Amino acid sequence: MSSNPLPSNTSRYGGCTLTGALSVTTSVAGSISIVHGPSGCAHHNFSLLHATALEHDGAEVPQILSSGLLENEIVFGGEAALGQALARAASLGPAYIFVLSTCIAETIGDDAAAVCRIDRGIPVIPIPTGGFLGGVFEKGVNNALCTIADTAPVCTRDGTVNIIGEKNLEYEVEENHAEIVRLLSALGLFVNIRFVHQILPDDIAALGRASLNILRDQGICPVGEHLKERFGTVYLPSFPSGFSGTLRFLEQAAAACGVPSRPAWSDEQAVQEDLLAGFSDLAGTCIALNGAGPASSAYGVAHDVASALRMKVSADGCRVPVPVSPPVGTAGIRRMLHRWRRAIYA
Amino acid sequence: MKQIALYGKGGIGKSTTSANLSAALSMQGLDVLQIGCDPKRDSTRMLMHGSFIPTVMDLVRERGDAQLALEDIVHTGFNGVRCVEAGGPEPGVGCAGRGIIATFQMLEKFGALSGDVIVYDVLGDVVCGGFAMPMREGYAQEVYLVTSGEIMSLYAANNICKAIRRLSQRSKSTCRLAGVICNAKNMPREDELVGEFARRVNSRLVQYIPRDRSVQVAEMHKQTVIEYAPDSEQAERYRTLALRVMENSAFTIPTPLDINELESLALEYF
Repeated sequence: MSSNPLPSNTSRYGGCTLTGALSVTTSVAGSISIVHGPSGCAHHNFSLLHATALEHDGAEVPQILSSGLLENEIVFGGEAALGQALARAASLGPAYIFVLSTCIAETIGDDAAAVCRIDRGIPVIPIPTGGFLGGVFEKGVNNALCTIADTAPVCTRDGTVNIIGEKNLEYEVEENHAEIVRLLSALGLFVNIRFVHQILPDDIAALGRASLNILRDQGICPVGEHLKERFGTVYLPSFPSGFSGTLRFLEQAAAACGVPSRPAWSDEQAVQEDLLAGFSDLAGTCIALNGAGPASSAYGVAHDVASALRMKVSADGCRVPVPVSPPVGTAGIRRMLHRWRRAIYA
Repeated sequence: MKQIALYGKGGIGKSTTSANLSAALSMQGLDVLQIGCDPKRDSTRMLMHGSFIPTVMDLVRERGDAQLALEDIVHTGFNGVRCVEAGGPEPGVGCAGRGIIATFQMLEKFGALSGDVIVYDVLGDVVCGGFAMPMREGYAQEVYLVTSGEIMSLYAANNICKAIRRLSQRSKSTCRLAGVICNAKNMPREDELVGEFARRVNSRLVQYIPRDRSVQVAEMHKQTVIEYAPDSEQAERYRTLALRVMENSAFTIPTPLDINELESLALEYF
């Protein structure tokens, strides 16, 4: 979900629009996502999402159905097959049915949106996800978030905060969320909804209630703009990273919500000083950063942390891991330093 | 086995030319299979005395491909010419090009691609890869362009030259341009224009077929000219075409024109 253009990141950040959208829609509890295409498109995404859920100790099986297009449907059109899949999904009584198209369904010109408009007594929401049309994983995430957001009504703001576009497939999704909750709590702010992470269907309607949206990273700024236009909600473009970035985040969130930042800012600075003191044994160590490359923003944070601990960064130093995405908040830096310590003392 | 394909602009007379060519070839004692590769399914109608035979795609849609046998899709028409219509989806849905590919796979499965000559009558333009299927390795090695002297017809023929040229660059491709057939609208100097077009795309005019009332009369009687009016001059032209096709060995990689060249050429003969 980063827009890092480095060739080494093309595969990581390119990917399939369908997969990006499914990472969102399958996180709406009680919903079914229909993949309108050959069964393989559903299968490999199911495998990925299921494996990720297991990594997160989740017992939930992703609710994905395929319209199961075969050659005859490609030749004669696949809309009837989609209709059958919708009937099957509707018979299971979900809160929502999401319909995600695939490359081949778009190629043969199936009008999935028209099939979705037939009343089945259940909200059926088509999401454009034909990857060959130019989208990547990030585009799928954004399309899904914006489409689901459009189902929520405009309502009165209540001073809470939405978390927007969490990376549902990233390993530390819960830890990162917990860090944002901790920082917001220090400001006396509360989270309204996680849009979209294991969200209940009824909670989606509360999307417009928050006074501030916090985006996971800058890749979903189009979603932030969409929500701003629809609900008038201002947004911060990413989770905080680095010592100074975390303190700045407190100031920005406080300003956006009209609450004082100074007590929380000072407390957080003390937390950061305690953190550095706790890792003072690493001072003077020579390390080599090992990760996605010097151009990644995570490297910038890693350099700052190394500098704060008076560590030397050199190609012949001890290799320490740098996460793909910058560590979130002070807690993210703590987890990164624990990994560095393990590497250094290994 | 000789495999030839006739390509050209829609409505230019490919099916009429193909059916009369197949009929004339059959009169030489050859075992001929004609395959209509067009969703409008009328390629073989005159060979079948006006009947629209069930298309492969209709049968697949109605019965499923597991329920089909060779005799369901291959129908015998005038003088033993075997006829197949690929058909396609209903207008506005699905993928007609994929339907052509699926038809070829089914014909391969049944071993239907046999005989002395196979004539592929293909939709006007090579609009996608499916309609280039007859040009692929293992199918038609010889492509004939059917065109009149009208600029849009020449434009379509020129586009097909581009497709042949592209496909001929593939390592195992044997597809070549075998010649140009002028199915005339009886415009002034039309034979000269189409002949010059053929020369400029590195080929030659194989046969000039003037517009003749005998074709319409034969078709009103649901027959080819070869069957309905075998002694007519038009029938003789189709027989000559059949002889030239069988004797032809001048196959080339075409040199398509750019649009300015094509328009200048048409202007010269206007």
